[in-house]
Amino acid sequence: MSWIPFKIGQPKKQIVPKTVERDFEREYGKLQQLEEQTRRLQKDMKKSTDADLAMSKSAVKISLDLLSNPLCEQDQDFLNMVTALDTAMKRMDAFNQEKVNQIQKTVIEPLKKFGSVFPSLNMAVKRREQALQDYRRLQAKVEKYEEKEKTGPVLAKLHQAREELRPVRDDFEAKNKQLLDEMPRFYHSRLDYFQPSFEALIRAQVGYYSEMQKIFGDLTQQLDQPGHPDEQRERENEARLSELRALSIVADD
Amino acid sequence: MAEPGTDEPSSRTGSPDGEGQVSGERLLLHQRLAVRELIDTELSYLHVLRLCASDIRSSLQQLPQRDLDVLFSNIDDVIEVNSRFLHDLQETASRKEEQVHLIGNLFLECHEELERVYKVYCASYDQALLLLDTYRREPELQREIQSIIEAVLPQAGPSGLSFLLVIPLQRITKYPLLLQKILENTVPDASAYPVLQRAVSALQDVNTNINEYKRRKEVASKYTKVEQLTLRERLARLNTHTLSKKTTRLSQLLKQEAGLVPRTEDKEFDDLEERFHCVSLCVTEMKNNVAVYLDNLEAFLCFRPQEYDLDIPGGPVVQYCSLMRDLQLQAFPYFKQRLKGLVWQPLCSLAKALAGPQNLIKKRLDKLLDFERVEEKLLEVGSVTYEEQEARHTYQALNSLLVAELPQLNQLAMRWLGQILCTFMGLQRELAQQVLQRAEGSLAQLPHYHLSEPAFRKLVEDALGQTGHQLRSFQENFEKVLPPPTVQPLLPGAERQVQALLSRYGPEKLYQVTSGVSGAGTLDLTLPRGQIVALLQNKDTRGNSSRWLVDTGGHRGYVPAGKLELYRVIPRQEEVKEQEWPHKDSRHLTPAPVPSVPVVTQVVAVYPFVARSSHEVSLQAGQLVTVLEAQDKKGNPEWSLVEVNEQRGYVPSSFLARAASPAPWGWGLPS
Repeated sequence: MSWIPFKIGQPKKQIVPKTVERDFEREYGKLQQLEEQTRRLQKDMKKSTDADLAMSKSAVKISLDLLSNPLCEQDQDFLNMVTALDTAMKRMDAFNQEKVNQIQKTVIEPLKKFGSVFPSLNMAVKRREQALQDYRRLQAKVEKYEEKEKTGPVLAKLHQAREELRPVRDDFEAKNKQLLDEMPRFYHSRLDYFQPSFEALIRAQVGYYSEMQKIFGDLTQQLDQPGHPDEQRERENEARLSELRALSIVADD
Repeated sequence: MAEPGTDEPSSRTGSPDGEGQVSGERLLLHQRLAVRELIDTELSYLHVLRLCASDIRSSLQQLPQRDLDVLFSNIDDVIEVNSRFLHDLQETASRKEEQVHLIGNLFLECHEELERVYKVYCASYDQALLLLDTYRREPELQREIQSIIEAVLPQAGPSGLSFLLVIPLQRITKYPLLLQKILENTVPDASAYPVLQRAVSALQDVNTNINEYKRRKEVASKYTKVEQLTLRERLARLNTHTLSKKTTRLSQLLKQEAGLVPRTEDKEFDDLEERFHCVSLCVTEMKNNVAVYLDNLEAFLCFRPQEYDLDIPGGPVVQYCSLMRDLQLQAFPYFKQRLKGLVWQPLCSLAKALAGPQNLIKKRLDKLLDFERVEEKLLEVGSVTYEEQEARHTYQALNSLLVAELPQLNQLAMRWLGQILCTFMGLQRELAQQVLQRAEGSLAQLPHYHLSEPAFRKLVEDALGQTGHQLRSFQENFEKVLPPPTVQPLLPGAERQVQALLSRYGPEKLYQVTSGVSGAGTLDLTLPRGQIVALLQNKDTRGNSSRWLVDTGGHRGYVPAGKLELYRVIPRQEEVKEQEWPHKDSRHLTPAPVPSVPVVTQVVAVYPFVARSSHEVSLQAGQLVTVLEAQDKKGNPEWSLVEVNEQRGYVPSSFLARAASPAPWGWGLPS
């Protein structure tokens, strides 16, 4: 805070003890960090959930487009498979939406609320700073008069200056104390504040993936598809491709 | 008795019975010879093949593998099939009487396999010949190849490799002839006869099919290439010939559209084409949708909420972050990779494979228009040119090719698509499994793991409600840290002004400006900090309550409400002694602090003054005096009524120190 240029000279003595200033800056610094992190976390959470919704919607589109293809009318097996897939996708999308709503309620909203305290804090710190400025200024003035020769006018001015100084100093001390009390408490409150949100977040994700496992597990069982290892799947794909290429009407390249 | 190999023309002119018997025996002899020939030639054929495939091929090291594959094609398969065939043939030798019957059956059993294997070899033979041609142009290479062949098979002669490579073609065409020979030497009422007949026609069919297969392959390879031509290249290709072709087709099409000429309806083909079209659409749409899904997945993986540091050392926050980190580093990328490899790539390959047939279908339509024109001409004129005949044949070949292969294509494509879909579902299931596995550990450590979901939700709601309260109180506390009080004793003029406002409006209506206001509009006031005003209206004409109408004593106008604070006025001198100096208790900063600037001031006497009458009072320099009135009884401001040392009297005002001028009143006071 020493970057603020003073119009009237600096006081001779350090009016705020270094330790106090250091403590203040440390506490405020921590809170500024926290503000930054919670703000960015909130933004990222929002973007992440938006992307999640988009992904789910595009999954639904896969099965929806398949369902609208005329092949479904011609081929009963295909229709069965695609209908089953479509049902699964739609259910998953519904679960996803619910999951996102839950996250919105238990994580994003609280983050926003937490962040909304910071403007007030910052204003309060500014006001303390302003008070400090006034305090320094008036203190310098008092010291200026104190050093002068004690004539009548000087004494009068000195008295006046002291009168002005007193309430300003008191005001600063009050603000300083208040902030030094409140800031650590506020910082500490994050512990209790965020734990429930994150617990809810984990549970929401686990709940969603449990549904996913169940739905797709049932689906793959229904369609008689055991879990093949990847190498086998790759070989099958190669085999299908070779079958196609064996036809003359398919170009070999 | 007839001797094997001798011909006795005289026996033919013998008696009918003897003749019948002799010719029967001769028949049997010839039959046996033919069978012998079949087996012996098969043996030597296989021997040569084996030499080609192993000795010769392995010696041709100077040729690249690619070339060797073209030259020798699927000769290994041919050898495999023929070895088995030979083995079975040789086995029949043990069963003398039924041998011919067995041979016939053997051919009937094997002919499909033979077709399958030989058609591939035959179809690629032309390419092999082309390759050999290029070798012939390099004498050095040619000599080397020749010497290798001569070392292994001297009887190959100067034509060398081409002589050897054509042998399978010769063999497959020989089978019907060999069988025919056996058939001719079999009595019609033998049990083997019908079997042999069928075998002969089967092998003839094999050859027909092989030829047809070859032709189709040629046609297909000519038209399936989907060429990526630039516009310039396409224009370069145009010449009078192609232009005339295209215009002819167009006119044919127009004639059809206009109903002048009947369109060739081919329901079978149309159905196939429609199904193909649906399959193609299915594949394209699925491919596009999967691409979008993958893009969204990528976007989702960009965001890393777990990377932010809230400085919380343990508990669910830490568990969440480590779980998400784990998922983002492993489970999700793995899912993405599998999706790309097992769903996306196959879809791309499938889509690409369908491009050839699409092209062929287009070409078929073009050729159909040509065909129809030629048919018309044939009807009108009775003959067509060679090119026109070729056009007819091309169309027919294309059409039969498509009709033959489209059903299978459709079926294979659908099957593959189905498999891809199942893979997609399987991948989703496995992703969920992975996530749950990794979350197991974190989940068990959660404080409220045992709670049911509804109970947990209620708990969270309550917790958030509580902490929400707490936050609000923090916010309020911070907002209580208010601007510094304005401690400004007033100038004399200001005091009078305040008195005037006070008497006019009453103490509850007085407000002090907390920081400088510069008015923008014509009705907005510009006021310095510390100015006292009286409130007239706490909203403006439009109902905006943050803009207040005030009276400065001289002017009226609007100021922002946020810059005004209630001004608690200390009543006049007499009451001042009884009134408490309102305390600013530094521990409880109240919302509306009392900047109690008394109208009565305490000042310091600057110069000494000696009283000259009983109305006056003496002063010492630096003495603290209380000003009771800033003017004398006649209103003259040059004298002030003060109290000092319990005495009251008048002193010259100029001997008193006034309050140091507060913040520069830069803006003009509204006069």
